[in-house]
Amino acid sequence: MASLPASARRARDAFERRSERVPYRLKLGLVWLGILGVMALWFLSYGFDTEFMLEWAPYILGGVGITLFVCIASIVLATTLALFGALGRLSGNPLFNGVASFYVSFIRGTPLIVQIFFVYLAFPQLARFAPEYMSGFFLLDAIPAAILALGVNYGAYMTEIFRAGIQSVGHGQIEAAHALAMSATQTTRRIVLPQAMRVVIPPVGNEFIAMLKDSALVSFIGAADLFFRASKVGQQNFRALETLVIAAAVYWFLTSVFSFFQTRLERKMGRGYVRERSHGH
Amino acid sequence: MRKLRLLTVISLLVLVIAACGTAGDEDTGGTSGGGGGNGEAEDSGMLAAVKDAGVLRVSTDPAYPPQSSVTKSGDYEGFDIDVATEIAERLGVEVEWETPSWDVITAGNWAGRWDVSVGSMTVTPERAEVLEFTPAYYFTPASVAVHEDNTSITDTEGGLDDKTIGVCGGCTYEAYLEQSLDIPGYDIDFTIDDASVKAYDTDSSAIADLELGDGTRLDAVISATPTLEGAIDKGKPIKLVGGPIYAEPLAVAIDKNSPEDPEPLAEAIGEIIEEMHSDGTLTELSMKWYGTDLTKDA
Repeated sequence: MASLPASARRARDAFERRSERVPYRLKLGLVWLGILGVMALWFLSYGFDTEFMLEWAPYILGGVGITLFVCIASIVLATTLALFGALGRLSGNPLFNGVASFYVSFIRGTPLIVQIFFVYLAFPQLARFAPEYMSGFFLLDAIPAAILALGVNYGAYMTEIFRAGIQSVGHGQIEAAHALAMSATQTTRRIVLPQAMRVVIPPVGNEFIAMLKDSALVSFIGAADLFFRASKVGQQNFRALETLVIAAAVYWFLTSVFSFFQTRLERKMGRGYVRERSHGH
Repeated sequence: MRKLRLLTVISLLVLVIAACGTAGDEDTGGTSGGGGGNGEAEDSGMLAAVKDAGVLRVSTDPAYPPQSSVTKSGDYEGFDIDVATEIAERLGVEVEWETPSWDVITAGNWAGRWDVSVGSMTVTPERAEVLEFTPAYYFTPASVAVHEDNTSITDTEGGLDDKTIGVCGGCTYEAYLEQSLDIPGYDIDFTIDDASVKAYDTDSSAIADLELGDGTRLDAVISATPTLEGAIDKGKPIKLVGGPIYAEPLAVAIDKNSPEDPEPLAEAIGEIIEEMHSDGTLTELSMKWYGTDLTKDA
């Protein structure tokens, strides 16, 4: 300590005092701005063609609609599958339980990109052995195929989330429902699921945000989503840096927006439990 | 109660989106075109199906200027695009585009997702097993490019042995380097031995890797001469080496395994291509996009 001269120590103390007056969030924001500024300068110094970016941004941004549509449709399919999957995983019936556990194990044990190609390329080959009225299901265009593959994939992961949610409902609740002469179905629908939802909704939001990014894989089967457009424009003009930066920025913006709502939703869902915890402080 | 309502909302959403989904499917099914048109009595198989639909669905990979690329408004443009549009016009139908990746197109088994490929596809015996080809609509010479800093590679006869060469995966250039390329009616001289082949999703990715520096990731790229020249025009630091290594006849392809008989459509398009050769349409389009006439067999 003594190594520091008195004048320097005084200067440091003055700086710390002044620094304390600056809100912490402002400092955080400044660090972010600093990083972004350095990145921007770095890119610009490498002949980053902003004019080219502005010219092509409208076309690339046109893919956001497809990206969002695929994600929303897939998360709805995944939620439905996960609900049945979780009930199956908790069922005493060996058939239901077997189907559900096989589904989870198989889908979680294979890569998403394999599943996407399987639905798009392998299903049509199966169609030849299927009856005529089924052939529409086996022969899917890029976007429906992507929704099916993403929905089934995320459904398997979400099955486990739903199962945990259902199991989080105290056993006393179920016993109480039985005491009120509710049937098993009534208990599930009126007692267990509504309470499980509180536990389940926040992680489902996380899954949605993860899916926003995984949906870029659908570009490999030719769906003109955000990433497909960015990579094609980049390839044909030999400007991958510019177009990939646009794509990355848009994905980041989208996930940030959904994360914002996600945080609010979590706070709202957990509000009945927050006060209890804060008693301890 | 609130949470129950949430459940209801979710299940409603499922219903709504399921409904949207099926509506969307019908749209993209391609059966909705109302053109109808001049369905003559003799049309059969896929030709009849295309004319009934009033739409010719063409696959294209819009990463290949000047053959095919995307415009700022989201349309496609290029030599292949103009040729396909002209074919559709002469068939009396509209044209629609699909954009699957190149290896998906060359593998056949399109399952009726699109009707034809007008994608500068080289006719090879392997492809001819799964695809029906029309007569060639033009011919491109394949060439080798190296980084402009390179001084050691001066010819394609021996100069490229043991080098790392980038090509598009599933393209004829890959088969050429593996010395398995066979184009009926053409003698091919394999002058490059023991190259280590790097396959890319598309030619421009290989060119972008060559751009990084001489030998950084690649020593050379093999591609169609117009593609390489296009890259040079865009300021890529690469140069052609030696003369063309072989010429490729490029044709329209149709899936042999189509739900309907592809033969009548292949014949009709073949006739249209002969017409476009003799009336100068193809020469005109070649001059427009390549600045030279590539429609005569060298």
